[in-house]
Amino acid sequence: MSTKTSRLPKRYHDAVVKWSETYLPDYPLLLENWERFFPKDPKFDLCAYREMGMCEEIECGALKGKLKFMRSGEMEPEQAGHLLGAIRAQASTEFGSIQQHQLTLSRAQEEEDQFWILRMMAEELRHGYQMLHLLAEDDWEAVSDESSDDMIEQILAMRTGSHILGAFNIEFDSFADSIVFCAVIDRVGKYQLSMQKISAYKPMAESMPQMLREEAFHLTAGVVPLRRWMARAAEGSPYITVDDMQRTLNKWIPRGLEMFGDERGGGTNVRYGLKPMKNAEAQEKYYREVEKVIRDLNVRYLRARLPELSSQEALDLLDSLEREHGTERGVAWDDLLRMPDIRFFRRRGVPAFQMVGQQGETYDDVDAYLKHLEDQLPGPYRAGRDYRQYVELLREVAAGDKVADAAAHELPALSRVGGVCPCSRAVRWVAGDDAPAGNGAERSGSAALGD
Amino acid sequence: MPEIEIRNLEDTDIGDIVALDETIGGAYRPEVWERRIGYYLRRDPECSAVAESDGRVVGFMLGEVRSGEFGLEEPAGWIEVVGVDPEVRGGAIGRRLAEAMFEAFRRRGASSVRTLVYDSVPDVASFFRSLGFEPEPLTPLIKNL
Repeated sequence: MSTKTSRLPKRYHDAVVKWSETYLPDYPLLLENWERFFPKDPKFDLCAYREMGMCEEIECGALKGKLKFMRSGEMEPEQAGHLLGAIRAQASTEFGSIQQHQLTLSRAQEEEDQFWILRMMAEELRHGYQMLHLLAEDDWEAVSDESSDDMIEQILAMRTGSHILGAFNIEFDSFADSIVFCAVIDRVGKYQLSMQKISAYKPMAESMPQMLREEAFHLTAGVVPLRRWMARAAEGSPYITVDDMQRTLNKWIPRGLEMFGDERGGGTNVRYGLKPMKNAEAQEKYYREVEKVIRDLNVRYLRARLPELSSQEALDLLDSLEREHGTERGVAWDDLLRMPDIRFFRRRGVPAFQMVGQQGETYDDVDAYLKHLEDQLPGPYRAGRDYRQYVELLREVAAGDKVADAAAHELPALSRVGGVCPCSRAVRWVAGDDAPAGNGAERSGSAALGD
Repeated sequence: MPEIEIRNLEDTDIGDIVALDETIGGAYRPEVWERRIGYYLRRDPECSAVAESDGRVVGFMLGEVRSGEFGLEEPAGWIEVVGVDPEVRGGAIGRRLAEAMFEAFRRRGASSVRTLVYDSVPDVASFFRSLGFEPEPLTPLIKNL
Protein backbone atom coordinates (compact mmCIF):
# COMPACT_ATOMS: atom_id res chain seq x y z
CA MET A 1 0.00 0.00 0.00
CA SER A 2 1.44 3.38 -0.96
CA THR A 3 0.47 7.01 -0.69
CA LYS A 4 0.12 9.44 -3.56
CA THR A 5 0.90 13.08 -2.86
CA SER A 6 -0.60 15.91 -4.86
CA ARG A 7 -1.32 19.62 -4.64
CA LEU A 8 -4.20 21.84 -5.48
CA PRO A 9 -3.99 23.93 -8.64
CA LYS A 10 -1.82 26.94 -7.89
CA ARG A 11 -4.61 29.47 -7.44
CA TYR A 12 -6.34 27.32 -4.82
CA HIS A 13 -3.07 26.37 -3.16
CA ASP A 14 -2.16 30.02 -2.89
CA ALA A 15 -5.60 30.81 -1.51
CA VAL A 16 -5.12 28.24 1.28
CA VAL A 17 -1.67 29.66 2.06
CA LYS A 18 -3.16 33.14 2.16
CA TRP A 19 -5.95 31.85 4.40
CA SER A 20 -3.37 30.39 6.77
CA GLU A 21 -1.55 33.71 6.98
CA THR A 22 -4.79 35.19 8.32
CA TYR A 23 -6.08 32.40 10.55
CA LEU A 24 -2.93 30.45 11.37
CA PRO A 25 -0.35 33.20 11.78
CA ASP A 26 1.81 31.01 14.03
CA TYR A 27 2.47 28.52 11.24
CA PRO A 28 6.04 29.86 10.70
CA LEU A 29 6.63 29.51 14.46
CA LEU A 30 5.64 25.85 14.22
CA LEU A 31 8.11 25.22 11.42
CA GLU A 32 10.87 27.07 13.29
CA ASN A 33 10.31 24.89 16.37
CA TRP A 34 9.53 21.60 14.65
CA GLU A 35 12.85 19.95 15.50
CA ARG A 36 12.50 20.98 19.11
CA PHE A 37 9.08 19.46 19.71
CA PHE A 38 8.85 16.78 17.01
CA PRO A 39 12.48 15.83 16.40
CA LYS A 40 12.00 12.54 14.54
CA ASP A 41 8.93 13.49 12.54
CA PRO A 42 8.94 14.46 8.87
CA LYS A 43 8.39 18.18 8.35
CA PHE A 44 4.81 19.27 7.79
CA ASP A 45 3.81 19.53 4.13
CA LEU A 46 0.67 21.27 2.87
CA CYS A 47 -0.59 18.73 0.35
CA ALA A 48 -3.24 16.09 -0.30
CA TYR A 49 -2.46 12.42 0.38
CA ARG A 50 -4.31 9.55 -1.26
CA GLU A 51 -3.84 6.00 -0.04
CA MET A 52 -3.42 3.58 -2.92
CA GLY A 53 -4.47 -0.06 -2.98
CA MET A 54 -7.70 0.35 -1.03
CA CYS A 55 -10.85 -1.69 -1.53
CA GLU A 56 -12.20 -1.31 -5.08
CA GLU A 57 -15.74 -2.42 -4.33
CA ILE A 58 -18.58 -0.66 -2.53
CA GLU A 59 -18.59 -2.02 1.00
CA CYS A 60 -22.16 -1.45 2.20
CA GLY A 61 -25.63 -0.47 1.08
CA ALA A 62 -27.71 -1.19 -1.99
CA LEU A 63 -24.72 -1.20 -4.35
CA LYS A 64 -22.50 -3.40 -2.21
CA GLY A 65 -20.02 -5.37 -4.32
CA LYS A 66 -20.13 -3.02 -7.32
CA LEU A 67 -17.05 -1.00 -8.27
CA LYS A 68 -16.56 2.24 -6.34
CA PHE A 69 -17.15 5.52 -8.17
CA MET A 70 -14.20 7.53 -9.40
CA ARG A 71 -16.26 10.57 -10.47
CA SER A 72 -19.33 12.10 -8.89
CA GLY A 73 -21.01 12.18 -12.33
CA GLU A 74 -21.16 8.35 -12.25
CA MET A 75 -23.32 8.47 -9.13
CA GLU A 76 -27.07 8.93 -8.70
CA PRO A 77 -27.66 12.68 -8.34
CA GLU A 78 -29.07 12.31 -4.82
CA GLN A 79 -26.18 10.09 -3.80
CA ALA A 80 -23.68 12.59 -5.18
CA GLY A 81 -25.57 15.36 -3.42
CA HIS A 82 -25.16 13.60 -0.07
CA LEU A 83 -21.49 13.06 -0.77
CA LEU A 84 -20.99 16.69 -1.71
CA GLY A 85 -22.72 17.80 1.49
CA ALA A 86 -20.34 15.62 3.51
CA ILE A 87 -17.25 16.97 1.73
CA ARG A 88 -18.29 20.57 2.25
CA ALA A 89 -19.19 19.97 5.88
CA GLN A 90 -15.89 18.18 6.49
CA ALA A 91 -13.94 21.01 4.85
CA SER A 92 -15.81 23.57 6.89
CA THR A 93 -15.00 21.77 10.15
CA GLU A 94 -11.31 21.59 9.33
CA PHE A 95 -10.92 25.28 8.58
CA GLY A 96 -13.40 26.24 11.29
CA SER A 97 -11.54 24.54 14.10
CA ILE A 98 -8.34 26.45 13.25
CA GLN A 99 -10.22 29.73 13.60
CA GLN A 100 -11.48 28.58 17.00
CA HIS A 101 -8.13 27.36 18.31
CA GLN A 102 -6.36 30.51 17.15
CA LEU A 103 -8.39 32.54 19.65
CA THR A 104 -6.86 30.86 22.67
CA LEU A 105 -3.62 29.29 21.44
CA SER A 106 -1.39 31.88 23.08
CA ARG A 107 -3.00 31.28 26.48
CA ALA A 108 -1.53 27.81 27.01
CA GLN A 109 0.44 27.55 30.24
CA GLU A 110 2.69 24.79 28.94
CA GLU A 111 4.78 25.28 25.83
CA GLU A 112 4.44 21.63 24.87
CA ASP A 113 0.63 21.82 25.01
CA GLN A 114 0.76 24.92 22.84
CA PHE A 115 2.96 23.33 20.18
CA TRP A 116 0.90 20.16 20.14
CA ILE A 117 -2.18 22.27 19.44
CA LEU A 118 -0.30 24.31 16.87
CA ARG A 119 0.76 21.16 15.03
CA MET A 120 -2.79 19.90 15.22
CA MET A 121 -3.99 23.17 13.66
CA ALA A 122 -1.53 22.79 10.79
CA GLU A 123 -2.77 19.25 10.22
CA GLU A 124 -6.38 20.46 10.24
CA LEU A 125 -5.31 22.93 7.54
CA ARG A 126 -4.03 19.99 5.55
CA HIS A 127 -7.29 18.12 6.12
CA GLY A 128 -9.24 21.11 4.83
CA TYR A 129 -6.85 21.20 1.87
CA GLN A 130 -7.57 17.52 1.28
CA MET A 131 -11.31 18.20 1.08
CA LEU A 132 -10.80 21.16 -1.25
CA HIS A 133 -8.74 18.81 -3.40
CA LEU A 134 -11.81 16.59 -3.77
CA LEU A 135 -13.90 19.59 -4.79
CA ALA A 136 -11.29 20.83 -7.25
CA GLU A 137 -10.56 17.47 -8.89
CA ASP A 138 -14.09 16.56 -9.86
CA ASP A 139 -16.89 18.31 -11.72
CA TRP A 140 -19.74 18.88 -9.27
CA GLU A 141 -21.91 21.07 -11.43
CA ALA A 142 -24.26 18.17 -12.19
CA VAL A 143 -25.25 18.02 -8.52
CA SER A 144 -24.77 21.61 -7.48
CA ASP A 145 -25.69 25.03 -8.79
CA GLU A 146 -22.28 26.16 -7.65
CA SER A 147 -19.00 25.55 -9.39
CA SER A 148 -15.99 24.09 -7.57
CA ASP A 149 -14.53 27.59 -7.67
CA ASP A 150 -17.52 29.02 -5.83
CA MET A 151 -17.66 26.22 -3.30
CA ILE A 152 -13.98 26.52 -2.44
CA GLU A 153 -14.29 30.25 -2.20
CA GLN A 154 -17.27 29.97 0.14
CA ILE A 155 -15.49 27.50 2.41
CA LEU A 156 -12.42 29.69 2.67
CA ALA A 157 -14.63 32.67 3.43
CA MET A 158 -16.45 31.00 6.34
CA ARG A 159 -15.78 32.29 9.79
CA THR A 160 -16.80 31.27 13.28
CA GLY A 161 -20.56 31.81 13.15
CA SER A 162 -21.01 30.87 9.51
CA HIS A 163 -19.65 27.32 9.44
CA ILE A 164 -21.83 24.40 8.49
CA LEU A 165 -21.87 22.62 11.86
CA GLY A 166 -22.87 24.15 15.17
CA ALA A 167 -19.80 23.03 17.11
CA PHE A 168 -17.60 25.11 14.81
CA ASN A 169 -19.59 28.28 15.36
CA ILE A 170 -18.90 28.49 19.07
CA GLU A 171 -16.02 30.71 20.05
CA PHE A 172 -13.37 29.42 22.44
CA ASP A 173 -13.18 31.28 25.73
CA SER A 174 -10.08 29.66 27.20
CA PHE A 175 -7.31 27.18 26.45
CA ALA A 176 -9.45 24.60 28.27
CA ASP A 177 -11.82 24.84 25.29
CA SER A 178 -8.93 24.03 23.00
CA ILE A 179 -7.95 20.94 24.96
CA VAL A 180 -11.48 19.63 25.55
CA PHE A 181 -12.35 20.30 21.90
CA CYS A 182 -9.49 18.02 20.83
CA ALA A 183 -10.53 15.29 23.25
CA VAL A 184 -14.25 15.48 22.48
CA ILE A 185 -14.99 17.11 19.11
CA ASP A 186 -12.00 15.69 17.25
CA ARG A 187 -13.20 12.31 18.48
CA VAL A 188 -16.36 12.80 16.42
CA GLY A 189 -14.00 13.58 13.56
CA LYS A 190 -12.32 10.22 14.10
CA TYR A 191 -15.67 8.45 13.79
CA GLN A 192 -16.62 10.36 10.66
CA LEU A 193 -13.28 9.73 8.99
CA SER A 194 -13.40 6.04 9.93
CA MET A 195 -16.86 5.74 8.42
CA GLN A 196 -15.91 7.67 5.29
CA LYS A 197 -12.96 5.34 4.80
CA ILE A 198 -15.39 2.92 3.16
CA SER A 199 -17.04 5.59 0.98
CA ALA A 200 -18.45 4.43 -2.34
CA TYR A 201 -16.69 7.48 -3.81
CA LYS A 202 -13.14 6.20 -4.08
CA PRO A 203 -11.34 9.56 -3.90
CA MET A 204 -13.08 10.19 -0.57
CA ALA A 205 -12.16 6.74 0.79
CA GLU A 206 -8.55 7.22 -0.32
CA SER A 207 -8.38 10.60 1.42
CA MET A 208 -9.24 9.19 4.83
CA PRO A 209 -6.31 6.98 5.99
CA GLN A 210 -3.72 9.74 6.41
CA MET A 211 -6.30 12.07 7.95
CA LEU A 212 -7.17 9.31 10.43
CA ARG A 213 -3.53 8.78 11.37
CA GLU A 214 -3.16 12.47 12.08
CA GLU A 215 -6.46 12.58 13.95
CA ALA A 216 -5.11 10.03 16.45
CA PHE A 217 -2.56 12.62 17.54
CA HIS A 218 -5.24 15.33 17.75
CA LEU A 219 -7.14 13.26 20.30
CA THR A 220 -3.93 12.72 22.23
CA ALA A 221 -3.31 16.49 22.20
CA GLY A 222 -6.55 16.75 24.15
CA VAL A 223 -6.47 13.69 26.38
CA VAL A 224 -2.88 13.94 27.62
CA PRO A 225 -3.15 17.54 28.90
CA LEU A 226 -6.51 16.67 30.48
CA ARG A 227 -4.92 13.75 32.31
CA ARG A 228 -2.13 16.01 33.56
CA TRP A 229 -4.62 18.67 34.62
CA MET A 230 -6.62 16.08 36.58
CA ALA A 231 -3.50 15.00 38.44
CA ARG A 232 -2.59 18.60 39.22
CA ALA A 233 -6.15 19.40 40.31
CA ALA A 234 -5.99 16.45 42.71
CA GLU A 235 -2.77 17.85 44.12
CA GLY A 236 -4.44 21.22 44.74
CA SER A 237 -3.16 23.18 41.75
CA PRO A 238 -4.48 26.73 41.79
CA TYR A 239 -4.80 26.84 38.01
CA ILE A 240 -7.46 24.56 36.60
CA THR A 241 -10.02 22.76 38.72
CA VAL A 242 -12.12 19.68 38.09
CA ASP A 243 -15.14 21.99 38.04
CA ASP A 244 -13.56 24.04 35.23
CA MET A 245 -12.98 20.88 33.23
CA GLN A 246 -16.47 19.56 33.97
CA ARG A 247 -18.10 22.75 32.75
CA THR A 248 -16.03 22.73 29.58
CA LEU A 249 -16.95 19.09 28.93
CA ASN A 250 -20.60 19.98 29.51
CA LYS A 251 -20.27 22.71 26.90
CA TRP A 252 -18.80 20.47 24.19
CA ILE A 253 -20.07 16.91 24.65
CA PRO A 254 -23.68 17.79 23.66
CA ARG A 255 -22.37 19.50 20.52
CA GLY A 256 -20.25 16.46 19.73
CA LEU A 257 -23.28 14.17 20.03
CA GLU A 258 -25.22 16.41 17.64
CA MET A 259 -22.49 16.24 15.03
CA PHE A 260 -23.61 12.67 14.27
CA GLY A 261 -26.93 14.00 13.03
CA ASP A 262 -30.44 13.19 14.12
CA GLU A 263 -30.66 9.87 15.94
CA ARG A 264 -33.42 8.80 13.55
CA GLY A 265 -31.30 9.35 10.44
CA GLY A 266 -28.25 8.07 8.64
CA GLY A 267 -29.96 5.34 6.64
CA THR A 268 -29.49 7.19 3.37
CA ASN A 269 -25.72 7.33 3.76
CA VAL A 270 -25.64 3.60 4.52
CA ARG A 271 -27.90 2.80 1.57
CA TYR A 272 -25.70 4.85 -0.74
CA GLY A 273 -22.54 3.15 0.52
CA LEU A 274 -21.11 6.39 1.90
CA LYS A 275 -20.91 5.27 5.55
CA PRO A 276 -21.32 1.90 7.28
CA MET A 277 -23.29 3.06 10.33
CA LYS A 278 -26.49 4.98 10.94
CA ASN A 279 -26.32 8.08 13.11
CA ALA A 280 -27.65 6.54 16.33
CA GLU A 281 -25.27 3.59 16.21
CA ALA A 282 -22.22 5.79 15.66
CA GLN A 283 -23.39 8.27 18.29
CA GLU A 284 -23.84 5.50 20.86
CA LYS A 285 -20.32 4.16 20.25
CA TYR A 286 -18.95 7.69 20.57
CA TYR A 287 -20.83 8.27 23.81
CA ARG A 288 -19.39 5.07 25.33
CA GLU A 289 -15.89 6.06 24.23
CA VAL A 290 -16.13 9.51 25.83
CA GLU A 291 -17.46 7.79 28.95
CA LYS A 292 -14.27 5.72 29.02
CA VAL A 293 -12.14 8.87 28.62
CA ILE A 294 -13.88 10.43 31.61
CA ARG A 295 -13.49 7.28 33.68
CA ASP A 296 -9.75 7.19 32.92
CA LEU A 297 -9.45 10.85 33.89
CA ASN A 298 -11.12 10.07 37.19
CA VAL A 299 -8.72 7.21 37.84
CA ARG A 300 -5.84 9.61 37.13
CA TYR A 301 -7.34 12.01 39.68
CA LEU A 302 -7.82 9.32 42.34
CA ARG A 303 -4.28 7.97 41.95
CA ALA A 304 -2.86 11.48 42.33
CA ARG A 305 -5.05 12.31 45.29
CA LEU A 306 -4.61 8.96 47.04
CA PRO A 307 -1.15 7.75 45.96
CA GLU A 308 -1.35 4.82 48.34
CA LEU A 309 -4.05 3.18 46.19
CA SER A 310 -3.18 0.45 43.72
CA SER A 311 -4.67 0.51 40.25
CA GLN A 312 -7.36 -2.00 41.22
CA GLU A 313 -8.14 -0.17 44.46
CA ALA A 314 -8.59 3.08 42.53
CA LEU A 315 -10.96 1.33 40.12
CA ASP A 316 -12.90 -0.19 43.00
CA LEU A 317 -13.17 3.21 44.69
CA LEU A 318 -14.35 4.78 41.45
CA ASP A 319 -16.98 2.04 40.99
CA SER A 320 -18.21 2.63 44.50
CA LEU A 321 -18.37 6.42 44.10
CA GLU A 322 -20.21 6.04 40.78
CA ARG A 323 -22.70 3.67 42.39
CA GLU A 324 -23.30 5.43 45.70
CA HIS A 325 -22.61 9.07 44.75
CA GLY A 326 -21.23 9.50 48.27
CA THR A 327 -17.86 10.23 49.88
CA GLU A 328 -15.15 7.67 50.55
CA ARG A 329 -11.56 8.11 51.73
CA GLY A 330 -12.20 11.85 51.70
CA VAL A 331 -13.13 11.90 48.02
CA ALA A 332 -16.67 12.91 47.12
CA TRP A 333 -18.50 11.87 43.95
CA ASP A 334 -18.78 15.60 43.25
CA ASP A 335 -14.97 15.90 43.25
CA LEU A 336 -14.84 13.80 40.08
CA LEU A 337 -15.81 14.33 36.46
CA ARG A 338 -19.25 13.07 35.47
CA MET A 339 -20.35 12.09 31.98
CA PRO A 340 -23.32 14.25 31.00
CA ASP A 341 -26.58 12.48 30.25
CA ILE A 342 -26.94 11.94 26.50
CA ARG A 343 -30.00 14.25 26.52
CA PHE A 344 -28.35 17.07 28.50
CA PHE A 345 -28.28 20.56 26.91
CA ARG A 346 -29.28 19.27 23.50
CA ARG A 347 -30.72 21.40 20.75
CA ARG A 348 -30.73 18.96 17.88
CA GLY A 349 -31.88 15.40 17.43
CA VAL A 350 -34.46 13.48 19.42
CA PRO A 351 -33.71 15.16 22.80
CA ALA A 352 -33.62 18.69 21.32
CA PHE A 353 -34.83 21.25 23.87
CA GLN A 354 -35.83 18.62 26.41
CA MET A 355 -34.99 19.99 29.84
CA VAL A 356 -32.74 17.20 31.04
CA GLY A 357 -30.08 17.85 33.65
CA GLN A 358 -26.46 16.83 33.61
CA GLN A 359 -27.21 13.61 35.47
CA GLY A 360 -30.46 12.85 33.67
CA GLU A 361 -32.85 14.60 36.05
CA THR A 362 -35.77 16.27 34.29
CA TYR A 363 -37.12 19.79 34.71
CA ASP A 364 -40.59 21.19 34.05
CA ASP A 365 -39.74 24.82 34.71
CA VAL A 366 -37.51 26.75 32.30
CA ASP A 367 -36.05 29.03 34.94
CA ALA A 368 -35.14 26.10 37.15
CA TYR A 369 -33.46 24.43 34.19
CA LEU A 370 -31.56 27.60 33.33
CA LYS A 371 -30.44 27.84 36.95
CA HIS A 372 -29.15 24.28 36.61
CA LEU A 373 -27.29 25.21 33.42
CA GLU A 374 -25.78 28.17 35.24
CA ASP A 375 -24.19 25.65 37.59
CA GLN A 376 -23.05 23.38 34.76
CA LEU A 377 -21.69 25.59 31.97
CA PRO A 378 -18.72 27.96 31.88
CA GLY A 379 -19.58 31.58 32.68
CA PRO A 380 -17.88 33.13 29.64
CA TYR A 381 -19.80 30.76 27.38
CA ARG A 382 -23.12 31.72 29.00
CA ALA A 383 -22.30 35.36 28.27
CA GLY A 384 -22.05 34.63 24.54
CA ARG A 385 -24.47 34.71 21.66
CA ASP A 386 -24.64 30.95 21.15
CA TYR A 387 -26.04 30.43 24.62
CA ARG A 388 -28.41 33.37 24.34
CA GLN A 389 -29.91 31.89 21.20
CA TYR A 390 -30.36 28.54 22.93
CA VAL A 391 -32.11 30.17 25.90
CA GLU A 392 -34.45 32.18 23.67
CA LEU A 393 -35.40 29.10 21.66
CA LEU A 394 -35.81 27.00 24.79
CA ARG A 395 -38.27 29.53 26.20
CA GLU A 396 -40.26 29.48 22.97
CA VAL A 397 -40.36 25.68 22.90
CA ALA A 398 -41.30 25.45 26.59
CA ALA A 399 -44.09 28.00 26.07
CA GLY A 400 -45.48 25.99 23.19
CA ASP A 401 -44.78 28.75 20.70
CA LYS A 402 -42.45 26.58 18.71
CA VAL A 403 -41.95 22.85 18.29
CA ALA A 404 -38.52 21.45 19.09
CA ASP A 405 -37.81 20.36 15.51
CA ALA A 406 -38.50 23.85 14.22
CA ALA A 407 -36.38 25.42 16.95
CA ALA A 408 -33.59 23.00 16.11
CA HIS A 409 -33.52 24.43 12.62
CA GLU A 410 -33.61 28.08 13.63
CA LEU A 411 -30.88 29.77 11.78
CA PRO A 412 -28.93 32.92 11.43
CA ALA A 413 -29.77 34.93 8.38
CA LEU A 414 -26.52 34.77 6.52
CA SER A 415 -26.01 37.82 4.46
CA ARG A 416 -23.68 38.46 1.65
CA VAL A 417 -21.63 41.48 2.55
CA GLY A 418 -18.78 43.33 0.94
CA GLY A 419 -15.26 42.22 1.68
CA VAL A 420 -12.54 40.30 0.04
CA CYS A 421 -12.09 36.68 0.89
CA PRO A 422 -8.62 35.14 1.04
CA CYS A 423 -8.97 33.67 -2.43
CA SER A 424 -9.42 37.09 -3.83
CA ARG A 425 -12.33 37.83 -6.03
CA ALA A 426 -15.41 37.53 -3.98
CA VAL A 427 -17.71 38.54 -1.30
CA ARG A 428 -17.88 36.62 1.94
CA TRP A 429 -20.58 35.06 4.03
CA VAL A 430 -20.92 36.10 7.61
CA ALA A 431 -23.62 35.85 10.21
CA GLY A 432 -25.48 39.12 10.45
CA ASP A 433 -25.25 40.95 13.76
CA ASP A 434 -28.89 40.32 14.52
CA ALA A 435 -28.68 36.70 13.55
CA PRO A 436 -28.46 33.86 15.99
CA ALA A 437 -25.45 31.55 15.67
CA GLY A 438 -25.71 28.78 13.12
CA ASN A 439 -25.77 28.79 9.39
CA GLY A 440 -27.66 28.36 6.19
CA ALA A 441 -26.69 24.79 5.63
CA GLU A 442 -28.28 23.84 8.91
CA ARG A 443 -31.56 25.24 7.63
CA SER A 444 -31.36 22.94 4.65
CA GLY A 445 -30.96 19.95 6.86
CA SER A 446 -27.21 19.39 6.71
CA ALA A 447 -26.73 20.27 10.34
CA ALA A 448 -24.47 17.38 11.03
CA LEU A 449 -21.99 15.06 9.44
CA GLY A 450 -24.77 12.45 9.37
CA ASP A 451 -27.89 12.78 7.25
CA MET B 1 -10.78 -16.94 28.15
CA PRO B 2 -12.82 -14.10 26.62
CA GLU B 3 -12.21 -13.31 22.97
CA ILE B 4 -9.16 -11.18 22.29
CA GLU B 5 -9.19 -8.47 19.65
CA ILE B 6 -5.98 -7.07 18.19
CA ARG B 7 -6.34 -3.47 17.02
CA ASN B 8 -4.38 -0.26 16.55
CA LEU B 9 -3.24 1.76 19.56
CA GLU B 10 -5.63 4.59 20.57
CA ASP B 11 -5.51 7.51 23.00
CA THR B 12 -8.10 5.78 25.18
CA ASP B 13 -5.61 2.98 25.90
CA ILE B 14 -3.32 5.17 28.02
CA GLY B 15 -5.03 4.35 31.32
CA ASP B 16 -5.06 0.59 30.68
CA ILE B 17 -1.41 0.57 29.57
CA VAL B 18 -0.38 2.53 32.67
CA ALA B 19 -2.15 -0.10 34.80
CA LEU B 20 -0.70 -3.01 32.83
CA ASP B 21 2.82 -1.59 33.12
CA GLU B 22 2.29 -1.29 36.86
CA THR B 23 1.14 -4.90 37.03
CA ILE B 24 4.22 -6.06 35.14
CA GLY B 25 6.87 -3.77 36.60
CA GLY B 26 5.40 -2.67 39.92
CA ALA B 27 5.78 1.08 39.30
CA TYR B 28 3.00 3.60 38.59
CA ARG B 29 4.33 5.76 35.75
CA PRO B 30 1.50 7.72 34.13
CA GLU B 31 3.71 10.55 32.85
CA VAL B 32 6.02 8.09 31.11
CA TRP B 33 3.15 6.47 29.21
CA GLU B 34 1.37 9.71 28.40
CA ARG B 35 4.55 10.86 26.72
CA ARG B 36 5.36 7.54 25.05
CA ILE B 37 1.88 6.85 23.75
CA GLY B 38 1.65 10.45 22.59
CA TYR B 39 4.83 9.84 20.64
CA TYR B 40 3.73 6.62 18.97
CA LEU B 41 0.28 7.94 18.12
CA ARG B 42 1.88 10.98 16.58
CA ARG B 43 4.33 8.88 14.58
CA ASP B 44 1.85 6.36 13.19
CA PRO B 45 -1.00 4.78 15.16
CA GLU B 46 -1.12 1.84 12.75
CA CYS B 47 2.40 0.76 13.72
CA SER B 48 1.46 0.06 17.35
CA ALA B 49 -1.04 -2.55 18.46
CA VAL B 50 -2.97 -3.54 21.54
CA ALA B 51 -4.79 -6.72 22.54
CA GLU B 52 -8.17 -6.02 24.07
CA SER B 53 -10.23 -8.48 26.06
CA ASP B 54 -13.58 -7.67 27.58
CA GLY B 55 -13.00 -3.91 27.07
CA ARG B 56 -9.57 -3.95 28.73
CA VAL B 57 -6.09 -3.83 27.23
CA VAL B 58 -4.25 -7.06 28.12
CA GLY B 59 -1.26 -6.59 25.87
CA PHE B 60 0.48 -3.96 23.81
CA MET B 61 3.33 -3.59 21.38
CA LEU B 62 4.61 -0.17 20.36
CA GLY B 63 6.80 0.57 17.38
CA GLU B 64 7.40 2.56 14.23
CA VAL B 65 9.10 2.48 10.87
CA ARG B 66 12.40 4.36 10.73
CA SER B 67 15.36 4.61 8.43
CA GLY B 68 18.71 6.30 8.23
CA GLU B 69 20.01 5.40 11.67
CA PHE B 70 23.44 3.81 12.10
CA GLY B 71 23.76 3.64 8.34
CA LEU B 72 20.68 1.42 8.10
CA GLU B 73 19.16 3.19 5.13
CA GLU B 74 16.41 0.72 4.33
CA PRO B 75 13.14 1.49 6.15
CA ALA B 76 12.81 -0.99 9.00
CA GLY B 77 10.05 -1.64 11.49
CA TRP B 78 11.19 -1.25 15.08
CA ILE B 79 9.43 -2.99 17.95
CA GLU B 80 10.35 -0.92 20.96
CA VAL B 81 7.97 -1.71 23.81
CA VAL B 82 6.09 -4.91 24.62
CA GLY B 83 3.83 -5.77 27.53
CA VAL B 84 1.41 -8.65 28.12
CA ASP B 85 -0.69 -9.18 31.22
CA PRO B 86 0.85 -12.10 33.16
CA GLU B 87 -2.66 -13.50 33.67
CA VAL B 88 -3.15 -14.09 29.95
CA ARG B 89 0.39 -15.14 29.00
CA GLY B 90 0.58 -18.37 27.07
CA GLY B 91 -2.37 -17.41 24.89
CA ALA B 92 -0.23 -16.35 21.92
CA ILE B 93 -1.18 -12.71 22.46
CA GLY B 94 2.41 -11.55 21.92
CA ARG B 95 2.58 -13.47 18.66
CA ARG B 96 -0.71 -12.01 17.44
CA LEU B 97 0.43 -8.49 18.35
CA ALA B 98 3.71 -9.04 16.52
CA GLU B 99 1.95 -10.35 13.41
CA ALA B 100 -0.26 -7.25 13.36
CA MET B 101 2.86 -5.09 13.66
CA PHE B 102 4.66 -6.99 10.87
CA GLU B 103 1.70 -6.42 8.58
CA ALA B 104 1.64 -2.68 9.40
CA PHE B 105 5.39 -2.44 8.84
CA ARG B 106 5.09 -4.19 5.47
CA ARG B 107 2.39 -1.71 4.42
CA ARG B 108 4.79 1.11 5.30
CA GLY B 109 7.43 -0.33 3.01
CA ALA B 110 9.64 -1.99 5.63
CA SER B 111 11.42 -5.15 4.57
CA SER B 112 12.79 -6.05 8.01
CA VAL B 113 11.87 -5.72 11.67
CA ARG B 114 14.36 -4.85 14.39
CA THR B 115 14.37 -4.83 18.15
CA LEU B 116 16.84 -4.77 21.06
CA VAL B 117 16.54 -7.02 24.08
CA TYR B 118 18.41 -7.07 27.36
CA ASP B 119 20.43 -10.19 28.10
CA SER B 120 19.00 -10.02 31.59
CA VAL B 121 15.53 -10.90 30.33
CA PRO B 122 16.06 -14.09 28.31
CA ASP B 123 12.32 -14.74 28.07
CA VAL B 124 11.95 -11.71 25.83
CA ALA B 125 14.82 -12.84 23.61
CA SER B 126 13.24 -16.30 23.37
CA PHE B 127 9.92 -14.75 22.44
CA PHE B 128 11.48 -12.82 19.57
CA ARG B 129 13.47 -15.84 18.42
CA SER B 130 10.24 -17.81 18.28
CA LEU B 131 8.94 -15.16 15.88
CA GLY B 132 11.92 -15.64 13.58
CA PHE B 133 14.23 -12.91 14.86
CA GLU B 134 17.93 -13.68 14.69
CA PRO B 135 20.97 -12.03 16.27
CA GLU B 136 22.61 -9.42 14.08
CA PRO B 137 26.33 -8.66 13.86
CA LEU B 138 25.77 -5.33 15.56
CA THR B 139 26.83 -4.66 19.12
CA PRO B 140 25.13 -2.03 21.22
CA LEU B 141 27.71 0.01 23.12
CA ILE B 142 27.24 2.40 26.02
CA LYS B 143 29.46 4.72 28.09
CA ASN B 144 28.05 6.07 31.30
CA LEU B 145 28.54 9.80 31.86
